[in-house]
Amino acid sequence: MAVSVEGVPVSAVPAATARSAPARRTRRRDLLRGLLGASAALAIAPVVAASRPPGPADAGPAGSSFDETYRGRHIRGALTSSGPAAATGGEWKVTVDGRPLHLMRRADGTWLSMVDHYRSYATPLEAVRAAVDGLGPGERLREDGPAHHHTHMGGHHGLHP
Amino acid sequence: MAYIRKDVSTLTGAERRRFVNALLAIKKRGEYDEFVRMHIDHYVSDGDGGLRSAHMAPSFLPWHRRFLLDLEAALRRVDPAVTVPYWDWTRDRATTAAPWTKDLLGGNGRRSDHQVTTGPFAYATGNWTIKENVTDGEFLTRDLGRAGDPIDLPARSDVETALRDPVYDVSPWDSTVDRGFRNRLEGWGSGSGSAAWRNHNRVHRWVGGVMLGGASVNDPVFWLHHAFVDLLWTRWQSRHREHRYLPAEPPGPGSRQYRRVVARHEKLPPWNVTPDQLEDASRIYRYA
Repeated sequence: MAVSVEGVPVSAVPAATARSAPARRTRRRDLLRGLLGASAALAIAPVVAASRPPGPADAGPAGSSFDETYRGRHIRGALTSSGPAAATGGEWKVTVDGRPLHLMRRADGTWLSMVDHYRSYATPLEAVRAAVDGLGPGERLREDGPAHHHTHMGGHHGLHP
Repeated sequence: MAYIRKDVSTLTGAERRRFVNALLAIKKRGEYDEFVRMHIDHYVSDGDGGLRSAHMAPSFLPWHRRFLLDLEAALRRVDPAVTVPYWDWTRDRATTAAPWTKDLLGGNGRRSDHQVTTGPFAYATGNWTIKENVTDGEFLTRDLGRAGDPIDLPARSDVETALRDPVYDVSPWDSTVDRGFRNRLEGWGSGSGSAAWRNHNRVHRWVGGVMLGGASVNDPVFWLHHAFVDLLWTRWQSRHREHRYLPAEPPGPGSRQYRRVVARHEKLPPWNVTPDQLEDASRIYRYA
């Protein structure tokens, strides 16, 4: 699939929304394996779309995964049921050129990233593309993940461990 | 005796130099980077679980007030005459005037990679290498006005709309509320157009570069911006003297906001202080 986003050529692996459920599950597993390594993927059960609460983000064209080149950057994302956000509908594992990008969710169901932090976007894919827009040429995310260590639990933030 | 925070456009040459030198001193000893780290660590979004103390919450204003006081205390340990100036972005809207001058924060980033190459915080000076970041970028970046997809600074009328609202904040105390001074000033909207991002949020986006992201504290303009946001809180308070910080009481166990927001008399993490104790700082500093 080749589409154009604001005049920028984008080649995208189609999101899995049109596939049957088992195919979608397999596809997501493959993607996760690529993202996180086989051992991590084994520990993550795929989230069935129907189990997620309805919200604007779920209506986005990205479905439950994406894998594309945007402005020369390889962006991948997949919804998992692991992590602290599992209780609120699953956590997106996202990478830009293989490095993790932390996505946060707003109460209205929209998404924002650590790179573009003062507005939100309808879908994870839009938030990740906006993060790419915010990166300078040659600028990469940190290899060790986003500089973001809070626990999501409230109260304790481990500022100076 | 309260000290005075001044409009950055009114600082004398000596005041500019001393403010800059104090910033460079705490950067050199690693203290500045702890502030960057702390801001990153306290950004909890309202669609995720957990207590929100710094953003998308009523305590957005007291949290940043205390954050500024801590930074200011660090600067004043270096030079007791220094205070944090404020940038009134409803008036000083040019990309070449204060605070974007060579003797203060330096200018816009260059076109190719948004690197700030002028002023005391330019990478080439060796004094302002970014350590705590979302990316591997080591130099300060800015994209004033966002050349590729331009936006304007907030209009004076946007600020006025916020100041006119007599209620401090409303339930559910998050980024989705469309009433209340706090979110009108913090600036979370809905919809996809850039008009949805107002006041505080919009200024972060207008400056761009590192100010766009979670590591926004790396740009010293963060403090000047938040000093003005803090000043606006004092203006709101003097207009609506009968109105206080809300919520007065914590949301109960039946509420979705239970243990997720800081009520007036609850401790505001990471400090041992309550919003109630931070509502009036006039004995510590005043705005000129």
